[in-house]
Amino acid sequence: MTGSREPATTGSHEPATTLVRAVAAELRKTATLPASRGALAVAMLGSLGITVLNAVSVRNALRSGQPEQVGYTSPVEAAFSAFPLGTVGAVILGVVVISSEYTANSPDAGGGRQITATLTATPGRLALLTAKVAAAAVLVLATAAITIPACLALAHLIIGTPFPAATLGETAARAAGTALYWMLTGLIVLAITVLTRSGIIPLIAGIVNSSVVSVSILLTHLTSLAYYLPDLAGLRLHGDDPLDMFPGALDPLPGGLVMAAWTLGLLAVSATVFTRRDA
Amino acid sequence: MLSITRLSKRHGSRTVLSDVTFQALPGRVTGFVGPNGAGKSSTLRILLGLDRPTSGTALIDGKHYRDLPDPMRTVGSTLDGSGAHRSRTARNHLAWVARAAGIPRHRVREVLDQVGLAGAGRTRVGRFSLGMGQRLGLAAALLGEPAALVLDEPVNGLDPEGIRWMRGLLRGHADAGGTVLLSSHLMSEVAEISDDLVVIAGGRVVAAGPLDRVIAGHASLEEAFFALTGAQ
Repeated sequence: MTGSREPATTGSHEPATTLVRAVAAELRKTATLPASRGALAVAMLGSLGITVLNAVSVRNALRSGQPEQVGYTSPVEAAFSAFPLGTVGAVILGVVVISSEYTANSPDAGGGRQITATLTATPGRLALLTAKVAAAAVLVLATAAITIPACLALAHLIIGTPFPAATLGETAARAAGTALYWMLTGLIVLAITVLTRSGIIPLIAGIVNSSVVSVSILLTHLTSLAYYLPDLAGLRLHGDDPLDMFPGALDPLPGGLVMAAWTLGLLAVSATVFTRRDA
Repeated sequence: MLSITRLSKRHGSRTVLSDVTFQALPGRVTGFVGPNGAGKSSTLRILLGLDRPTSGTALIDGKHYRDLPDPMRTVGSTLDGSGAHRSRTARNHLAWVARAAGIPRHRVREVLDQVGLAGAGRTRVGRFSLGMGQRLGLAAALLGEPAALVLDEPVNGLDPEGIRWMRGLLRGHADAGGTVLLSSHLMSEVAEISDDLVVIAGGRVVAAGPLDRVIAGHASLEEAFFALTGAQ
């Protein structure tokens, strides 16, 4: 049916146009997928919830005159101790951005997978993967931009100490580092899920490692080289480890660079595989 | 025009396609028939750039699918069902497809109307029947008002009314000068609708040409099919 066909949009031959379209489509697609909304809710509501719990116990300890009962009394620490939940949310998002493409529909509905629709709309695989990375990064950073200040404000409100203006710069740097850590973690998991296609293994490994028992931290007891692993390299992006739990951790700048290198390396591997294999 | 030329595909030691050659011409409905596992979907997946051939080419107006400047405005396609994630609504699925393909948003409502899903736009795809999924897949195929349609088993799961509707739509598309390539294992449906026929078995094309010429000497397409594919 050629009757009402509009002329092809001018400039559509430009790779840049394809990429812009793909990024816009992936942003919409990811933001409207119930599973990714769940992931962002975990990051946001989970962090806020843990912040409230932390802050309430600090406030109670301070009010009862027993500050030694808690590991810290600073509202900033009350908020930052909640941010592993943001990492968990980023892990879930990084997984579902890819695994949702490969989830089979029910056999009653033809059993198809979304990847066929995705690749017929955007056949350029490198453009598609770039768009997925951009969409995941934007959504994680936007979530961090709301969640981290909200948690800090909430912790100060509950504990009731005035915001220490002197440490504003340091707190801002830690907040930016945390947002970066969330984003890089999400992208590392995204890259791994491109390789596995199924979300189950990266999801379990990612969540357990970032919240329950960190295999990487256990490894640091064997060798300090474990501090170069993807999840530990960027540890100090969150701050200076006030409890001195990780004496061997890399400083924020080199650590962040090592983590970014892991991310880029894994994305390069996944791009190589994704552009070559059958859909 | 869709041109498949000397297409071969191997998975390890298993040969999926062997020297497959045929064309689908504008103004004609080309039926692509064969038993399950004969290589129909593999051929269409290579044509749409999803899988790579071991050798040979599958071109659309002389170009690989991935090199088309606006692929969905050139070829509309469906492969195994709707291609929509089950937790999405029909409208949401078509909206992101349109965005990715650079197709205006108003087309979403138009194609939902066209395929008879206007009332189901806000229903989650996971609750669709097979027939509704087929209609949604076709809606995505029609989004870009393409000249060519490539459809894998499009009448699967459609009720008699739906089959009749699909037949009318594809006939109209070809009569307006469009190219239609559809695969099916339903002989009577294919015989009703096709101008040209390509019969594939065991990864090889065993017959190709105008319907009457392929059937010549047999009582029906079904008879011809079993004779050509050597099946019982």
